[in-house]
Formats: sequence, C-alpha cells, structure tokens
Amino acid sequence: MHGSLAIKRISATPGTAPGIRTGPEFAKLVDIARCIGCKGCEVACKEWNELGVEPTENFGSYQSHRDLSPDTWLLMRFNEVEFDNELHWLIKKDACLHCEEPGCLYACPAPGAIVQYQNGIVDFNQENCIGCQYCVTGCPFDIPRFNSRTKKVYKCNMCVDRVDAGLEPACVKTCPTEAISWGIKTDMVEVAGRKVEALRARGFQHAAVYDPPGVGGTHMMYVVPLGDKLSEYDLPANPTASPRPLAALNVMKKVGSWLFGAGILGAVLHYLTVGPETAPNADNDNSPIVDR
Amino acid sequence: MEARKNHAHSEVHRFSLAERLVHWLVGLTFVLLLLTGLAFSYPPLFWLTVLLGGGPTARVLHPWIGVLFTGGVVAMFWIWMRDMFISRSDVVWLKAVRHYARHDKENVPPAGKYNGGQKIFFWVQSMLGVVFLLSGLVLWFPDSSGSTTLATMRFLHYAGALGAGLLLIPHIYLGTVAFPGTLRGMLHGKVSHGWARTHHPDWQRDRAEE
Repeated sequence: MHGSLAIKRISATPGTAPGIRTGPEFAKLVDIARCIGCKGCEVACKEWNELGVEPTENFGSYQSHRDLSPDTWLLMRFNEVEFDNELHWLIKKDACLHCEEPGCLYACPAPGAIVQYQNGIVDFNQENCIGCQYCVTGCPFDIPRFNSRTKKVYKCNMCVDRVDAGLEPACVKTCPTEAISWGIKTDMVEVAGRKVEALRARGFQHAAVYDPPGVGGTHMMYVVPLGDKLSEYDLPANPTASPRPLAALNVMKKVGSWLFGAGILGAVLHYLTVGPETAPNADNDNSPIVDR
Repeated sequence: MEARKNHAHSEVHRFSLAERLVHWLVGLTFVLLLLTGLAFSYPPLFWLTVLLGGGPTARVLHPWIGVLFTGGVVAMFWIWMRDMFISRSDVVWLKAVRHYARHDKENVPPAGKYNGGQKIFFWVQSMLGVVFLLSGLVLWFPDSSGSTTLATMRFLHYAGALGAGLLLIPHIYLGTVAFPGTLRGMLHGKVSHGWARTHHPDWQRDRAEE
C-alpha cells in the first residue's frame, strides 16, 4: 500500500496531475446492518485527528451532536422514522464519501486547496484554502464545514496519513462489529454485493449498495438494508458532481468570457475604424456662445 | 500660467467635488471587486488576488470593499437620481445612437445634462448594485443557507458582475479615448464649452438661460 501522495486531481489547476506512481484505489465500506450505534468511530476520528471535544446537549436522540462541524468530521446520524406501522432506527455514518468525481474540487477556485490522490482520497489542504466555501456549493452531500476562526474549510480526510503508512482509517480500526471495512475498491464492491445478497436472503428485499454513479462512485460506500428508503437515511438518491445552479454558472462563465472579450474587441475596433471624436469644436473651443 | 487660468475660467462646471468623489469611490471599489471576482471565478486569473494581498486576504477583503461600494452606489443614486429620469427626448436620442457612435453630429438629437445611454447605464448599474448586495450578503455569511441557495447566489452574483463588467467597457472607452475632453469633467469637474455644446447642447442651453 503506497501512493496516497500520488496526486490525480488538483483544484483550480488545468489538466490532470501526472500519475508518476500508481497503485490501487481504496474504499471504505459501511455496512449499516451491522452497526450497533456505539459511536466508537466518532471517538477514534476525534482522537486520531486531534479534533477538539465539542459540548453537546440532549436533544432526544442517540445522536451525539446535531451536525458536523469543522471539529467533527464524522457524525453517526440516528434517524427515527415510522413506516409500515413500525418504528425504524436508521443509522448513517455521515462523513465525506470521497467521490471519484469530487464536486467540491471542481467548485474550488484556489489552486491546490483540494486534491484527489490517486488512491481515491479527496483531501483539503488548508494552507491553500481561501475560505470562500465554494466547495460547500459543489458538495452533493453537505459535508465541508467552515471554521469562522481559522477561515478555512474542514472535512474527513480518510486518515490520509494512516493510509499512506499502510494502515486503515481510524474509524475502521476501532469498529467492534466490523460494520466498517477497508480495502481495494473493486474488492469492496464485491464484498458489498455479497452483503446485499445475504441481507436479501434475510428478507430485506430492497437492500442495496450505495455507490452513486452521478459522482463516479464513492470511496466510502454503504450497504443499505432499506435501499428503497434512501431519503430516510439522508442519502441523496441521485447526487451529482455538478448541481444544476453550478452547471448553469459554468455555462454562463464560458459565455461571459466570450462576451467580455467581444466587448473589448468591439471597443478596439471602434477606435481603429471610427476613431476618436476629432471635431474642432468638441473640446478645444471655449467660446461660451450657445449656437444651436 | 495666466493663459491657463483664463482657459480654466471659461470652462463649464459639470461635476461637483462630492459627485467626483463618489464616482471614483464606486469606480475604484468596483474595479477591485471585479478583478478579485474574476480571480475567484476563473482559475487562470487566480493570480489577480495579489491585488488584495493573496487568496485568503482577498477573500476577506472582497466583501468589505463591497460594503464601501454599496455605500458609494447609494450615495450616487441619491445624488443623481433626479437627473436620470428618462424623458421623451432621451428615447429620441437612443433611437439615433448609431449616429452618435459614428460621430455623425448632424443626426444626433440634442441631449440634456445626461444622454439616454448614460441614464440607462445609471439605472442598470443601480439595479445590479441591489443584486450584488443581496447575493453578496448570502455569500458573505454562507453558514446561514443551504448549498443550493449558495450556488444560486453565486449564479446571481456572477450574472450581475457580467452585466456590470460588460457595461464598464463602453463606459471607460467613451469616457476616455473615444471622446476627448470627457474625462476632465470627472477629474477636475469642468469641461470646455465646445464639449458641452457638442455632447449635451440642451444642458448648455438651459445653463445659458439661467
């Protein structure tokens, strides 16, 4: 396992980075059916990444905090939903999914603030971040969080330092039920398929793998027991790397640059053909007589 | 020295000090905002952020300069609004704008203190000022809205900048090299009689009648 520092994409930088080193793409697989809701992964994430403890309150849920934050990169969401005359306790590991087509990276205007490593990890480099939060507008999963004190944006980096050293991410390491597993992406897709089959055999006929093609697949996938209830898990059904307003913005930027160029060219052409006003009385005549 | 004094004496007063200060406040802040905005919109132009101290600093200063810009636009609107109502003679002037572009003076209908083009420029830029302010405030405090709202505001902010940036091209071109003698009015407040008679004959006539 090497090559996490082989860069595949760099924000606001034309072309793709030359892949000098190649290696496997990794993926984290979250089997929601095996999760017991212990939140050990949240603690491991805080510990490994040295993220501060944030006070919280009891708001009638098993959930530790209400939302992700610049210091909380991983949040287990506990959604209590009633359907089919039953209460369902839906758990979702909310953190960066490390899209193959990263909307955050595409939206970022600061060169090098977001990079995608060849192994699939999408990482924020805070030293290059300008704090504009365009990544927030590009992320279909509402993951990046802005720290108003440091004026930078933060999110899960898939423990890139551990992965580079050949280790699994901290949340994977700590999970007591192996609900989170880690490996080469193609292998994990296979594992996920087997898990789905097993779930279907147990009566979860809608069990599904969440690896949405709209973002080119993700490097954190889910096995969802109730695959027909994605929205109840807060999982978008059809996420895309280029949300509609941004797609429209990108078209308008292209049109805009042409129009701006045409405008300047028009002024230059006017100057070269019609030229400036040279009438004798235009500027150098100071007789105060009004003769119209 | 004496000659220059006489020369200045016989010029027409066009813009007060307050008008010129407000114009250049809006002009300077707008250009800074446009250039840093281009830097945030086009990665090949990201280097323009050095104008305001690099990426992170430009990101912090852009909205504050926007506050100055907004103040300037409000003042400008207050000062010039009454002069800018579009009259029937402005419509006549606008219909003949192609003659104006060709310096074909015989066929250019007389304009008042401001011609129809300047008046449209004024109203469009004032309206875009509102677009900048509203979308800019949301983008300044992005925590308060969702990503779709933010993306939509980015669209509006860019659309406004495109409109205002495009209008700036004729504004600068016509005000400087295309019509010699125009820039002096905004710099020193005075224009020549000949310039005033050529470009704004009705304004000249009204002044003479006063």
